[in-house]
Amino acid sequence: MLTKKGKYGLKALVHLARMPAGQLAFVGDIATGNNIPKKFLDAILGELRNAGFVQSRKGKDGGYRLARPADEIKIGHVVRVLDGPLAPIPCASRTQYQRCEDCNEATCQVRHLMLEVRQAIAEVLDQRSLAEMRDIADDLPVVPGMTDLAVVAKVQA
Amino acid sequence: MTGRTNSINSIIIVGGGASGVVLAAHLLKSPNPDLRVTLIEKRPHFGQGIAYSTLLSAHVLNVSAAGMSAYADDPGNFWRWLQGRGLIGPEQTPQTPFYAPRSIYARYLGELLDELEAREQPTGRLRLIHEESRSITPTPSGVDVALANGTSVVAHLAILATGHDEQPAQGHAIRMGSEADTEIAPDSRVMVLGTGLSMVDAFLALEQRGHRGDIVAVSRRGLLPSPHRKGNPIKLDVADIPLGTQLSYFVGWFRDLIRENQKAGVDWRDVVDGLRPFNQKIWQNWPASAKRRFVEHTKAWWDIHRHRMAPEVYARVTDAVRSGRIRPVAGRVVAVTPGDGFAVEVQSRHTQRLETFEVARIYDCSGIVRDISTSSNSVVRSLVDRGLARPDPLRIGLDVSANCEIIAADGSVSRKILAVGPLTRGTFFEIDAIPDIRVQCARLSKQLLG
Repeated sequence: MLTKKGKYGLKALVHLARMPAGQLAFVGDIATGNNIPKKFLDAILGELRNAGFVQSRKGKDGGYRLARPADEIKIGHVVRVLDGPLAPIPCASRTQYQRCEDCNEATCQVRHLMLEVRQAIAEVLDQRSLAEMRDIADDLPVVPGMTDLAVVAKVQA
Repeated sequence: MTGRTNSINSIIIVGGGASGVVLAAHLLKSPNPDLRVTLIEKRPHFGQGIAYSTLLSAHVLNVSAAGMSAYADDPGNFWRWLQGRGLIGPEQTPQTPFYAPRSIYARYLGELLDELEAREQPTGRLRLIHEESRSITPTPSGVDVALANGTSVVAHLAILATGHDEQPAQGHAIRMGSEADTEIAPDSRVMVLGTGLSMVDAFLALEQRGHRGDIVAVSRRGLLPSPHRKGNPIKLDVADIPLGTQLSYFVGWFRDLIRENQKAGVDWRDVVDGLRPFNQKIWQNWPASAKRRFVEHTKAWWDIHRHRMAPEVYARVTDAVRSGRIRPVAGRVVAVTPGDGFAVEVQSRHTQRLETFEVARIYDCSGIVRDISTSSNSVVRSLVDRGLARPDPLRIGLDVSANCEIIAADGSVSRKILAVGPLTRGTFFEIDAIPDIRVQCARLSKQLLG
């Protein structure tokens, strides 16, 4: 279950992934550009910094940038940091298990299926990088060709 | 996949220690009648390597027998072998921890290879060569492995299974059991560099020899390994574990997880062991900076909790520490002055104070690969020298792909030279022990032979 926090965090990271390499983005610009309350965004970026996904610089020219190339940051990794264990419902988690008031976890069929679902969620989200997510957002048909170009450039380099 | 499967029939395994034998056993499970497996070992016995060549009965396995089967898909294999040989009583169940002497394990692997040899004799699918390998050279049709006797063996591909790299001892120190390890006065004081499981092995060997003197054990942190305790690993899913973060974040999460479990009465070992199925995934998803920091700062702590010893061995070590026989010192050696023995100056990690120890001998039990490109193994060194292989970014092993293929200096992935076991630790992290190596061998056999 992706919370608002998770969603905002991913949007902020896409914003940063669109910046030219190494350039800092102002928190205000990220907030207004993505309709995120600025205070909430500050807290989210702080957590992403603690986990090592973004770097910040203080001061007048300060701001945030990605700590690593966007193709090395996996979406599942970011979501776990912001929202905790990947889980479609609160009881389908091993480490932050929350008991449901109204059922017995040992026999609850819903929970058993949801434990399977979370494996599938992890499989999808841990395969997708921030770079891929940024590129699906740009719904231009040239995009696949551009990634190919990037690969060619890498091989030649 | 089928095209490749058909093209690979002959495989040379360089190194017939534990990982080489385990790999051969997995490859020979293939029904392919044209398969040819050649196992090359320089030591007199197959299946021993450095780890299992000790004859000392006190040198027991650090993993309980139920976890030591050679086969990934038959975890009870070693257990049944022990029972068949009458080496464990019928009253013992696989749930009872049993730490077999390593020499027994060597016998198990030796017999397993004998059985394979007998079984494959009519088919000619297995060939054993007692010789030292010198170098591997890729050819248009496969590989050519040059041997120390001047001949060479060819195959479609070669797999390095050279195991733990024994690096030359540092400075004035020597390796235990090497030629330089001559007799010393029984009550002379000795120094051991390292406080981990190798130091414990050295202590047990010294006791066995009748040595009674003090043992000063020096390492950066002076940490001794913990003992095993029968437990029940906690259940985790990959969806629970933070991947790809900076090291400090992960360590914080893991400490919290242990604390919460301890509050619920769970032993920390069960949390450490619960993480085990995910250790390779955690390692592979870390950024390079987290891996480096882990090796520099966290690994020593991780190792004493993760790589534990049999409770009986732990009891002996604790007694020796209590009586002053073993003195663990957190610090570093700053100067060694040879004379009548050695005067070793050690700077304490905590007080910075210098202390001098007069010792008759210094044993190197630090056990850490300092740099794979200085390997004592000529095959590994020659691959690196010719640019056919390169060290992984941390230089603790060879750089290999997720499919165990060796990566050349120019970044190209070899289709002909692969590696298993400790050599691949840069990519697979925990790949020193049989429980991990057998899984790697099973996967590799499937990848190569279908």
